Amino acid sequence: MAGRFFPAALMARRNLTRTKMRSLLASLGIVIGVVAIASLGMFGVALQYSFTQNLGNVGNQLTVYPNSGENITELTERDMRTIRREASPTATVSPVKTRVEPVSYNREDAVRETIYGIENPGELYEAKEGRVSPFRSGALVGSSVAETHDLHPGSQITINGTSVRIRAVLEEGDAFSSTNPDNRVIVPATSFSQSGYSEAYVIESTGTQANETAMGIRDSLNDREQRVFVQELGSLVDTIEEQFQIINTVLAGIASISLLVAGISILNVMLMSTVERREEIGVLRAVGYQKRDVLKVMLMEATLLGFLGGIAGVILSLGAGLAINHYAVGDAMAVFRLPNAWYVGAAFAFGVLTSIVSGLYPAWKAASEEPVDALRG
Amino acid sequence: MTVIDAQGLVKRYRTGGQTLYALAGIDFALEAGEFVSIMGPSGSGKTTLLNILGLLDTPTEGTVLLEGQDVTGLGDSKRTALRKRTIGFVFQHFYLLPTLTAVENVEVPLLLDSDPQVKKRARTLLERLGLGERLDHKPDELSGGQKQRVAIARSLINSPKVVLADEPTGNLDSETGRQILDEFRRIADEDDVAIVAVTHDDLVNEYVDRTVHLVDGTIGRERKNGG
Repeated sequence: MAGRFFPAALMARRNLTRTKMRSLLASLGIVIGVVAIASLGMFGVALQYSFTQNLGNVGNQLTVYPNSGENITELTERDMRTIRREASPTATVSPVKTRVEPVSYNREDAVRETIYGIENPGELYEAKEGRVSPFRSGALVGSSVAETHDLHPGSQITINGTSVRIRAVLEEGDAFSSTNPDNRVIVPATSFSQSGYSEAYVIESTGTQANETAMGIRDSLNDREQRVFVQELGSLVDTIEEQFQIINTVLAGIASISLLVAGISILNVMLMSTVERREEIGVLRAVGYQKRDVLKVMLMEATLLGFLGGIAGVILSLGAGLAINHYAVGDAMAVFRLPNAWYVGAAFAFGVLTSIVSGLYPAWKAASEEPVDALRG
Repeated sequence: MTVIDAQGLVKRYRTGGQTLYALAGIDFALEAGEFVSIMGPSGSGKTTLLNILGLLDTPTEGTVLLEGQDVTGLGDSKRTALRKRTIGFVFQHFYLLPTLTAVENVEVPLLLDSDPQVKKRARTLLERLGLGERLDHKPDELSGGQKQRVAIARSLINSPKVVLADEPTGNLDSETGRQILDEFRRIADEDDVAIVAVTHDDLVNEYVDRTVHLVDGTIGRERKNGG
C-alpha cells in the first residue's frame, strides 16, 4: 500500500533489505546517538527536577535586611509600613526581631544562640507537634532543634536564665529558604525590648509578584541611601536553573558526537551502496529517471535508515528515562514530562537529520553520474 | 513514418593530445516498425551510435531528429524526459533491480508516476511475453531468457516509438536467443515499434529488416533482408 503512494520509499526499502546487516549496523549508530542525546538530556532534567523539589517553593519569598554597611542596624516601624505598602494586599509580611541569648536545654550548660521574635508565626509555619497560634508566651522550636535535644510541646528550656515552655515543634521548611525554622528558637516579639526589626519576610503568591514587590521596596527605601538589601530567592533559583541549562547543553553536545560518528557510518554505507549499484542507477537514468528522481530514491534510503534508528532510539531512550527517573527522582513516571519530550523529540529529529545530511553527498554523487559512463561498466 | 533521422553524426573524444573519432560522419534513419541490427568490430562506434540515438549521449557534430523534432542540443533533463516518453532500452546484462519482483521491474520506468494503470499494463506485457506464471518472482528466481523477457517488457512499459537493444542475445544460448529475437520481431510487426539492436551475433540478422555495418566510425556495406 505504502509502495503505491511512495514508490521511491518502496525502492529504498527494498534496497535496504538487500544488505540487511549493513543497514542494521548503520542505523545502530543512529540508535546509539539518539539514546545518548535523549538519556543525557533526561538525566539533566531529572537532576534539575530533584534539585527544584529540594529547593521547594521559595521563588515567591523576599527577605529585607538593613544595610549594616551604612550603619543601619535595624528596620524601623516606618520601614515596615513602607514594606507593607509596597507588598501586594494578599502578601504575608512578617517582621522579625533577633537577639543573642544564652540558651540551655535539659539543664545542660547554656550556649549563646540567636533567638527569633516573630509576632504571628502562624502566617509562616505549621506545627508538627503542638499548636503555633495563639502565640503570646513560651517558645517554638524547629524540627532539628527538637530532634537534637529531644524536645516536645510541654518541654522546658532556659533562655537567659528564664524557664520557657515549648508550645510547638515546627514542620520542616525548604532547605534554601531564609524563613527555614529548622534550627531556630522562636519567641513572641513582645518579649523583645528593642523597637526595630532585624529583618522582614515577604511572601507573595507568585514569583513575578515577588520580583515586583522587591523592586518597589528598593525604590522606596533606597531612594537617597542604600538603607536595605532585598534578597530574592527567585533570582537565585533562576541563576541555578541557568547553570543546569548550561550543564544540559554541554551533556547534549557530548552526546551528539556519537551522532556525528553515526552520520559518518551512514555516509560510508551509502557511498559503498552507490558504487555497487552504479549500473542499476545508470539504468534508472536511461529509462527516464531525472537526476532529482535518483536523488529522491537515495535520500529516501538515508531517511529510512534515520527513521529506523530514530524510532528504536526513542523506544530505548524511554526505557532509559524510566530507569533514570526511578533512581534520580524516585518516580519512574516522571519521564513523561514536557522537557523530556523535548529532549527525546530533539534527539529523534537530530538522528533523522544526521542521516539525511550524510546521505546527501552519496545521493548527489549517484545522481550526477552520466548514464553512459555508468552503463559502460 | 521516420522515427529517428540522424544526419552527419560525429563523435570526437580528446584523450591526452590525441583526438579519437568514435563516429566519423554517419547518416542513419529508422522507420516505424523497422527492426535494424548494427554490427561491427569492437571500437567501431556501435555503442556510441546507440547511445546517441537513445539520447544518452550527444554528438559532437550532426543532428538527430526524433519524430521530426530536433533533439540535438537538448539538456540532460529534457533528454531524460524524452527518453522516458519515447524510448525503451534492453541491455546485454539485463540490469534488472534484484530487490524488485518481475512486475515491479517492469513498472520501474513509470514507478515514480504513481499511476495505478501501470501495474495492470506491466502484468499484461509479462503475460504477452509468456511470463504470466512468474509475475512475482525476483530476478534471481528467473532464467537468463526470462530475465531478458522482463527487460523487454520493461522497455515497452512506456509504449515507446523506439527500442534500443545492446547485445540483447549476448548472454543467452542460441535457443533462448531465438525466442527473444522472435519477440522483437513480433513487437516490431504488431506494435509498429522501431527496434535497433547492436550485436555481434549473426543469428540476429535472420530476424532483422536490415543490417548496418560500422567500421571505424563510418557505415560500411548495408544489407537489406528480403529485399
